[in-house]
Amino acid sequence: MEYSIRAANVEDCKDIARMITELAEYEKVSEHVKVTQKDLEQDGFSKNPFFHGIIAEVPEQHKTKEGHTKIGYALYFYSYSSWKGRAIYMEDLYVMPEFRGIQKNGLVAMEIMCMCMCMCRKSLVICGVCLSGKGIGKALMSKVAQLGLAAGCNQLNFTVLDWNKSSLDFYLNQGCFDVTADMGYHCMRCEGEALQHLAQP
Amino acid sequence: MHFKIRAAAKEDCREISRMIKELAVFEKMSDQVKISHEDNKTSVVFLVTCVFVVLPGFTLVGYALYFYTYSTWTGRSVYLEDLYVMPEFRGNGIGKGLMSKVAEVGKKKQCVRLQLSVLDWNTPARDFYATKGAQDLTAGEGWHFIRFDGQSLDDLVNEAPED
Repeated sequence: MEYSIRAANVEDCKDIARMITELAEYEKVSEHVKVTQKDLEQDGFSKNPFFHGIIAEVPEQHKTKEGHTKIGYALYFYSYSSWKGRAIYMEDLYVMPEFRGIQKNGLVAMEIMCMCMCMCRKSLVICGVCLSGKGIGKALMSKVAQLGLAAGCNQLNFTVLDWNKSSLDFYLNQGCFDVTADMGYHCMRCEGEALQHLAQP
Repeated sequence: MHFKIRAAAKEDCREISRMIKELAVFEKMSDQVKISHEDNKTSVVFLVTCVFVVLPGFTLVGYALYFYTYSTWTGRSVYLEDLYVMPEFRGNGIGKGLMSKVAEVGKKKQCVRLQLSVLDWNTPARDFYATKGAQDLTAGEGWHFIRFDGQSLDDLVNEAPED
């Protein structure tokens, strides 16, 4: 099946919002999603965007029964390491279920999907035989890496849940390393009242 | 002790570099620091700004380095990459002042989260962040940072589809 990957534009926000919601619904955590299509338009496509996106599209003849041709996306932003310099962070990677297991050259490969912060263990599949497969999800991730390198980044970072062994193994088999396990870094967050209180001058 | 916090400027990069290295020594990872103040200088425009602590006499004794990030669930966030106060100036509320300033800057941009990372053995820092109401997402929910760099990043790039 042919597909293409391109930079997202503001008109894609409706489909990006749809796919964010699909993933959250599948994982039964849709009440956690506060971001709307309008937020995405404002936050991703104004003068100083908070994120960038790439979209995977299929031709009309392969559209879904609901008529969608935009069937996957990756969402990323640039970050910084005070030790190593420019870095790229992949916040979301998603391909609609019916388009997984597809390679451009027609070979079938299983692949890891859905590695965003809200992802659920159930949505991950891995095929021990086809780790080198070039499915849409892998293509999206590689594209983010390429964009990062072109921008002078020397790291691609993201997060994964520790009990998600199949996903962890998949990424580790591709040569990345677990910064938390190897170096002991913990992810920390302030939000809600704690953040309000902290922001008091 | 009276101190002042202000936004960083390009001219501060040499001092930022000095303190980055001091922090890396404290974290027992000084061999990991690869960038110079020249890199910081060209990258300041690229992405980050710092807030600085300045004491009477305009000695730079601490810094915070942050950038904006995004959550597809909750929207705009701010990430605190570095927070550092030189050892002899600790205990005076400077670290808290820097962190609050970053939170305030983030709030003005409608950020709803402030995120950072901390080393598991760094008990004073972990206690400090805990008193500020930070949740430990690694301990609490099992989140791990994963990274591609060097050869693994090059390999991933080589598999990118042609445009």
